[in-house]
Amino acid sequence: MFKAIIDNLKGLYSLLVGLFITGDFFLSPQKTTHYPRKVDDPETLKSYRGPLELVPADNYGNGKCISCQMCVRACPGHCLTVTKGDKGKEPKVYLYDFTLCCLCAACVESCPTGAIRFSHKVYMVAPTREALHLDLIADLKSRATKIDPMGTKAARLKVAKAEAEAAKAKADAEDAAKAKAGPAGSAGAPA
Amino acid sequence: MSGFNFINPFGVREDPGSFVGDRYTDNFSRKARRDTIVLNLGPQHPSTHGVLRILVEMEGEYILRAEPVLGYLHRMHEKMAEVKTPWQFIPNMGRVDYLHPISWNWAYVGAVERLAGIEVPERAEYLRIISCELNRIASHLMWWGAFVMDLGGVTPILYAFEEREKINDILQIVTGSRLTLSYFRFGGVSTDIDDRFERLTREFIPYLRERLKMYKALVTDNIIFRRRLEGIGPMDLDLCQRYGATGPILRAAGLAYDTRRDIPYGLYDRFEFDIPCGPSNDSYGRYLLRLAEVGTSLDIIEQAIESIPDGPIKIAKAPKANYKLPAGETFFAVEGGRGQVGVHLVSDGGQCPYRIKLRAPGYSNLSLFAEAAKGTLLADAIAILGSLDLVIPEVDR
Repeated sequence: MFKAIIDNLKGLYSLLVGLFITGDFFLSPQKTTHYPRKVDDPETLKSYRGPLELVPADNYGNGKCISCQMCVRACPGHCLTVTKGDKGKEPKVYLYDFTLCCLCAACVESCPTGAIRFSHKVYMVAPTREALHLDLIADLKSRATKIDPMGTKAARLKVAKAEAEAAKAKADAEDAAKAKAGPAGSAGAPA
Repeated sequence: MSGFNFINPFGVREDPGSFVGDRYTDNFSRKARRDTIVLNLGPQHPSTHGVLRILVEMEGEYILRAEPVLGYLHRMHEKMAEVKTPWQFIPNMGRVDYLHPISWNWAYVGAVERLAGIEVPERAEYLRIISCELNRIASHLMWWGAFVMDLGGVTPILYAFEEREKINDILQIVTGSRLTLSYFRFGGVSTDIDDRFERLTREFIPYLRERLKMYKALVTDNIIFRRRLEGIGPMDLDLCQRYGATGPILRAAGLAYDTRRDIPYGLYDRFEFDIPCGPSNDSYGRYLLRLAEVGTSLDIIEQAIESIPDGPIKIAKAPKANYKLPAGETFFAVEGGRGQVGVHLVSDGGQCPYRIKLRAPGYSNLSLFAEAAKGTLLADAIAILGSLDLVIPEVDR
């Protein structure tokens, strides 16, 4: 009898302890983030896996993809479609069905040139299913910061190659000229 | 109409007093007494943690018989393994058990490594242990909150989620996701940890130890909670062994069997940790044991994060997505949050494995429910069900 009363009093005390703890939490500051008024620290999204995107090779909207189909073969969900272009190795089509993707990184890890990566689009919203069928080349072009004056990558590479050759020829000519005036030039240089 | 009976499509004889439902209900109620009620718990009942359905025969408030009905979340993971290359099946392993996916990652990757004879770098083994134990804590915290919520205490789950979100933040740094983690690769892990991971993990260990004291004061010592659990649903060792129960249920019944200690894998033999055992085989004992296991996991993480060596996180020529397994057969078991997780892998040397059998601990543990629930009150059956820590996707696979 006496023991039972003590037991019940102890039980009553445990209830008071619980009330005290919940009251303490009630008065402590809010722990949650009220989206969209507040968003998380972007540092937490560094490794977040959003939908895939192509890695830009330059500022003109060109990628590194060489249409080797390794990502297509590696993908367990069959969510990628890559078609090779008419000229060069660049893909003509790079379609990505986000509804099938399980974000497993098989494509990213199998890419020999590092042409694809996960974006950090954590707040992406799609109104329809079709909006999740993404065209990654169009996405890459839209992220370009400069307009390519040559029109295409191939043309620009050709010009760049010609420029490099010209610069090299010029440097060679200068070296030859230096070599001619070598002894005098080197003697005059400061030690 | 052609005589098709929409109410009773399988043509089971309707005897008076029985409950006309689907085939399971009809088969179950055929054995029912006339003066009892057959009740469906689930599959959409919140206290069944997903889509578990349990048929119970009730006499008043007491349960005479119980029968779990499975398969509402069957996703053919074992069949999927037969049409995917070994690499392509890794993401499935993050989805079998959404509360402790890293243990399934480990079981599958470990089986492939054992069959192919792949050695794992030391740093990768440490990262595996740290991530697996962090994930185990997250799993137990989720169970803690859900279990207390089953018993009517809605507040504690929100406190448990605060800690769980911290673990998710830590694991997101290396895995990139918060729920369906696919972190392990054949011959290592996918990503190396950074300073932020180490800092957050070191901060988390003393933080959670403080919080466990709060858990004890708020829930464990609570008089209502104790009266609802003490002596409810005893499962003795013999019963557990007959049904193949593993994990916290078996340990609470008094057998200190833990795969990490008894069939060592990884580098668990390097760490000092004790296997909690007991104190009692009722629901309250299982509750206390799981909280003790959180402490064990914290001990392991603390030692691992202090002594983590430098080096590569993956072997040089790690298998790629087109990797073919050598012919053979193997079994690999790890200790998951709910018990022994096993993968039996058979390969005939082809592109895809010939057969994979996933041994889910929740399936065996659920079988105990029918025995333990006999003769208990319905409210106590919910307590027993919660103390089993079921994850239905894992039970159904």
